[in-house]
Formats: sequence, C-alpha cells, structure tokens
Amino acid sequence: MIETLYHQGALTTGAAMGLSLLVGVAFGFVLERAGFGSSRRLAGIFYFRDMAVAKVMFSGLVTAMLGLAYLVAFGWISLERIYLMPTVYAAQIIGGLIFGVGFALSGWCPGTAAVGFASGKLDALLCLCGAVVGSILFNELYPAMRPLQVESGVQFIYANLGVSQTTFAFLLTVAAVIVFWAVEYLERRRKTGTDYFNSPSLKGFGTLLLVFAVGLFIVGGGPGVAFDGSTREAESVAPATIAQQPGGDLLAQVESGQDHVEPEELADRLTRGVSDWLVVDVRPPAEFNALHIRGAVNIPLSNLEADLQPYKNRGRIVLYSNGMTHPAQARDYLHSRGFQNAYILTDGLTGFIERCLKPASLRSAPLGPEAAATVTRWREYFLSPGTPGSQAAAEQDDFAELTLPGLTATDWLAENYHLGNVRIIDLRSNPEYTSGHIPGSLRLDLESLRGVIGGVPSMLMPASMIGEHLSLMGLHPADVVVLVSGDKLQDATIMAIALERVGHNRYLILDGGFGKWLAEGLPTDTALPSVAASEFSVDRFADHFTVDYQTVLQHMERRSAVIIDVRPAEYYSGTKSDEARAGHIPGALSRPYTEDVLASDKYNAFKRIDGLRQAYSQLIPSRDATVIVHCRTGHQASQTFFVLKQLLGYRNVLWYDAGWTEWAARPELPIRAAAAP
Amino acid sequence: MLVMSTTPETLKKYMNPYLAGFLLGLTLLASFLILGAGLGASGGIARIAAFTECVFVPDHTRASEYFGPWCAHNPLRYYLVFMLIGTFLGSLASALFANRVSFKLERGTKAPAGLRAALALIGGLLVGFASRLAAGCTSGQALTGGALLLTGSLIFLVCIFAGGYAAAWFVRRQWDD
Repeated sequence: MIETLYHQGALTTGAAMGLSLLVGVAFGFVLERAGFGSSRRLAGIFYFRDMAVAKVMFSGLVTAMLGLAYLVAFGWISLERIYLMPTVYAAQIIGGLIFGVGFALSGWCPGTAAVGFASGKLDALLCLCGAVVGSILFNELYPAMRPLQVESGVQFIYANLGVSQTTFAFLLTVAAVIVFWAVEYLERRRKTGTDYFNSPSLKGFGTLLLVFAVGLFIVGGGPGVAFDGSTREAESVAPATIAQQPGGDLLAQVESGQDHVEPEELADRLTRGVSDWLVVDVRPPAEFNALHIRGAVNIPLSNLEADLQPYKNRGRIVLYSNGMTHPAQARDYLHSRGFQNAYILTDGLTGFIERCLKPASLRSAPLGPEAAATVTRWREYFLSPGTPGSQAAAEQDDFAELTLPGLTATDWLAENYHLGNVRIIDLRSNPEYTSGHIPGSLRLDLESLRGVIGGVPSMLMPASMIGEHLSLMGLHPADVVVLVSGDKLQDATIMAIALERVGHNRYLILDGGFGKWLAEGLPTDTALPSVAASEFSVDRFADHFTVDYQTVLQHMERRSAVIIDVRPAEYYSGTKSDEARAGHIPGALSRPYTEDVLASDKYNAFKRIDGLRQAYSQLIPSRDATVIVHCRTGHQASQTFFVLKQLLGYRNVLWYDAGWTEWAARPELPIRAAAAP
Repeated sequence: MLVMSTTPETLKKYMNPYLAGFLLGLTLLASFLILGAGLGASGGIARIAAFTECVFVPDHTRASEYFGPWCAHNPLRYYLVFMLIGTFLGSLASALFANRVSFKLERGTKAPAGLRAALALIGGLLVGFASRLAAGCTSGQALTGGALLLTGSLIFLVCIFAGGYAAAWFVRRQWDD
C-alpha cells in the first residue's frame, strides 16, 4: 500500500513543497504540449471550433479514473489516503456557472493562464491578476457566501445514482469515447483543428480505454467493491489482510441484486473492519445470543423503525434472520417508511455459514487456492472471540482481560457489580438516584467536578480537587470504576475525563446507561452504600490532553490539527448563540456529539464502532493526526473525546475544555460568524 | 464572422490531444499516489491573493475569516503555490522547446485590444472568485474530483460548460478576424 503525504499529514513539509513543484512541472509541460498556452484554442470549445479542451480534459479524467480504480483493486492505494473534496451543492453549482462565464470571457482558467503567462501572453497575465483580485473579493464577501457553503460531505456520483462504481466508470468511459468521435466529426465538418477522425491514435486510445473499463468488471470483484469506501481499511486490521484481494472466485459470484447483499460481499466488508453498513439480526434475543454474525446488532422486528431511524438512508442496513422471509418483510416495511437503504442478506444466516464459513475441506465443489484462503480468513474473523472495544467488553467475562478504559455492556455489569473492586459511580441527579440505582453505586454530582477557573466558567477542577472527591467516595487505584449516566452519555464521559486527569484509567462506561439497565429489568436498589473514605493518590501530571486557547490558536493558524466542534449544528453555523459571539473557530469542522449516539425512547447508547469509525475517517486523516475537540463548556466534547480516544483509538486527541464560552468572549480570537444574532 | 485563425499548420506542432490527455491523466495519478491530493492551480493563486492582501492591509486580512488563518504564517508556504510555480516552469520549458514563447495579447485580428484586455481581466476576476466559492477550478475540482467520481466536482464541471456556452455568444467579438 502506497503511503501518501496527505495521509501522513506531511503536506506541509519541505519535501511536499519540492514534490508538488515536480508534479506541477509535469502538469505545466503536458498542458503546454497540448496547446493550452493559447486562449484562442481554449475558447474554441465554446464556439465548437477547436474542441481540444474537451479531448484533453476528458481523456485525462478517464485515464486517471481507470488508473486509480485498478490501483485500488490491486491494493496499491486506498481512497482513504487521498484527499476527497466534500460536495457543496449550492457553492459548486453557482461557482461552476460563474467560472464558466469567466472562462468564456477570459479564454483562460487558472492552470492554463499560468501556461499562457509562461508563453508570453499578456491576456493570461491580465487573467491571473483578475483571479488574484477575484480571490480577494471572495475573502471580503465571504460572510455573505456562507448560506451557499452547506457541506454534504464526500459524495460519490455513482452512489447518488444508485449504480456500482464499476458500472459508472464503464458508462463514463463509453460516453467519453463517443464524445471524442463526435467532436472529431464536428471539427472535420467545420474544417477546423487537426483531423483525428478515424485516426489510428483515436481508435487505439478509444479501444484501450474501453478494454480497461471492461476489465474493471473482472478485477473490481463485484458491484461497488473497488471504489466506494469498502477499501478504507481499518488500521487495526493486520496488514496482510489489507493487502489481500477480495476473495477471487467467491466474490466473482456476487451479483447485483437490487435489494440483496450476498454473504461473500458482507463477509468481505466486515473483515475489512470499516464499513458504513449496519448489520441487523432480527431474530429473537435468545437466538442472537446463541450465535450471530460478528458485528451484528439485535433489533426485534417491533422496534425496527425506531431503532434504525438514525441510519435511515445513511450507509446500508443489512437485515438477516435464519432464512429470508422475515427480513424480506422487514425490508418491505422499512421501504414503505422511507428507508431506501435496507437490504436483505441472501440466504440469511444459514447461507452465510454455508457460503462463507464452511471450511474448504467440507465443500462438495473444490475451491481455488485463493478462495480457500479467503474462507480461512473469514473463519478466523467470524469464529474468533471479539476484538478490543465494546463488543469485546460485552463478551468478556474474565475480569482481568477487560479492555480498560472502555465501554461495558449491561450483562457484564450484571454479573460483576457485586464484586468488591468494581465501583459504580452514578452520575444522575438526585431524585433519580435515590428512587433507584444499581446496587452499591455511589452518587456523584457533576457540578462538584466543575467550577470557575481563571475566570472561565464550567472548567473541570484540578486533579487535587478531583482526588478529594474520589477519596471521599472511598475509591482505590486498583478499583475498576464503572460510570453510569442517565440519558446523557456525556455525564459519564466528563467523569471519565476527570478520572484520566488524575491518572486513573481503570474505568468503564456503561453503554446505554441506567436506562438500559432498567429496560432490561436488572436489579436496582434505593439503599445508600456504606463508604469508608480512602486516601486516593492522584497523578498530577497525567493530564496531557487538556489544552488552552493559545494551543488551539496555534494549531488553527498552522492548520496542524483537526478541530472538531461538537455543538449542535445551529450553534456551529452561528444561527443560535448563548455566548458573546456566534459562529465557530475558523477551520473547525462540525460533528455534533449527538451524531455518535443511538437514541431510543428508553435509553441512549453509543453507535456501532464501525459506523463511528467510518464517520470520523471522513474528518480525520489518520490515527496519529492531532485532533482538538470542543463544545461550549467541555461537557459535550468529553463524549467525542471518549469516542475518538477510547473507542476508535485516535492517539492524539486534545480537549479544549474552556470551549466556545472562552473563545467567543475573547475578541482578539478569530471566528467564522454568521449574521449578527 | 467567427473563424478561428489557428490553422492546421500551427496546430500540428501541438501534441496529439489524446496522448496529451493520457499524459495528463498519468500526472494526476502520480499526484494522487505521491501527494495524496490531486492537481490544483487556483489554490496557489488564492494564496498569492492572501499574501498580496496581507501586504497592503495586514491587520484587516488577519482578522478576515477566509484568508485570516492563512496569514497567521506565510500564506505562500503551501503545496499548491509550489505546484503553480512548477506549472509555470514546466510550461515555460515546453514553450521554449517548441519555440512558442511570444509576447502578445491574443485576440481576433479585427478585435479591439481594449475589449480583449478588459474581458481577460473581468473573466479572470470571475474565475478567481468562482474558484474560491467552489473550492477549486478546472484542475482542482473538475479534473481531480471528476477522476475521483465526486458528485460536487462533476456538477461543477457540467456547470462550467453551461456557464461558458451561455456567455460565449456575447463575447464572440474578441475573436473576430
């Protein structure tokens, strides 16, 4: 796999400047060779006189598209390592129209104007000067442009059109070849330009493109496999797994049923570790607990619509049962409720086991060596115990092998809450706690952890003060602390940050909080636990993750960190504000903390790791990238901090506790603001 | 009259457009593999614009929302600025080899120089503005994003042609012979 500078976060290095210069040299050389140093030739396309722009641009586009598809299919590069521009519909439509008018007026676009300038063209210099002025104008008018800048994230055209990447690439190639012939015919009729109609070069090039486009159906391995994100491998997957091809013979059998997912395709995606597919087991819980596809969630048919609401038309929902009748009904029901992304697993769980997990030696038809290797890999993945993370915590019953810190499921806690060194901290407020809590749990008021520090409100207390509280609760460093929230998961995560500040990393967060515990009918108690105060010794230097505004400012200016603003979108955009100024930190990305939560009417739980990983891989270039999370007061951001650092394994996550409250109140700090509130 | 004066004789010196396109595609692929980002030109121009504005009104620019963060440090230290310089150098080399460097204002033989100069400047202004709005130009959005099959980039590409064809008739006089 080729490592790109972008993926390494090295686009700002001196080496990147030198390599960019070399890429530019090749770019400029090719453009000049093509005759793009002449505005007359460039403008020719708008008068159907000289169609060189169309020919060069589309052959370049199709060449790069096909080349990239092959490199991805062969495992040389993954799209995760390339910067993908988000789609911003309004800005790109209006921008495109204005750009087109400017192109027709000047006869240049920015790249070709540089070529024209090098060729001595005065009009190219004028165009470049105009472009500099136009850019400055944009900067001045930027606040007024904000309504157009509503990002829709990275969007792939074939996914929007509902066809596979391979099919779309093939159709685009065919269209390009047809366009080539059409413009050559046009130029021959008008006797303008050079005559390549029926020339060997056009025939040869056209044939070559078509052959490679058809070949994609063979190497691509099936609909959408090569290009639509399935190759965004998790770094936790062993490199050997990444390099492997989608299972040759088996995957070749995958066909594009409109509402079906073939078991092989599902197995391939799940083993790759990252996917925006949610696999839903609709069987009764007892059957689910006995055996299920690794990574699947269990949702009874009656709760399907409510529980799947957050996944409506986002990624793919794959439904399965033992056979196909129930999932098909479920799919039809979901479809009638507006879910366009519900699929059923062909042949259900039975088929999945038969087709993907049956050892090669037990099969009636022999498998090729490649397919046999794929089956072995799938068996290893699906038949092994869980990975570190939430599922693992849920499946682990051995105390010593817990992943700490991490998430825990109610069933683990139900088995272990009575143990002496499992200490439960209940972060709900008081009438709720006294009217029923998990037996033995200690109440902690969040407000005792936070206060005004250095004039900034709602700051997390220093380690020594947190330590005092932990001592009063009788905690010891060897204890495993289980944090239980109500429906606000961020109540547990802010306590998690408090524990990390004092260096206590032996903690778990109860996924689903008290609501899930209650919903599952697990025991509760109204008695207060007996506590003997301890001397909890704190590590005063454990907090390497809390940052102040100067640090954020530095990262912002250098663009050396991904700043994630987790407040609700209307606060990010500035249409709502509770603080001195409205808007957000320049360059910050919006990812509301609520996006990471799967809400139901009974409780809130974290979304599946796969989905979270996929979502954040769109925002953060690599596991080692510096990430700063903030909200208004640090509370909500603690949740995103936990998700990134403990659930997804990002190594360099920083927490700007003071948040927007401070940033907005310091007029010297730059903001991107909407219209005045 | 709309007749382009570029005769087949001069065009013959240009590379076969399909070969040029193929090489352009390979350049873009190399950029993907090495840099992890596609080609770009307007990004470099925007950096030069930020630098320019910062020279004249530094405080105002630093406080501005779009250029502000770039101006905290040298806005020219950016990979696309270097790519733009490379583009200039590469095309200069090619033009010198082909003996195509000539100092002139390219226009139709009967077109007034003032008209052509004004349209080049105004067109450039629109192009510069639109490139920032769409976060890229023909290179950075249409070609790069098109090859990645990104929806917004392909929409941008279609809109470029829509805008271009809509405006072309009104400015045809600059190419009159």
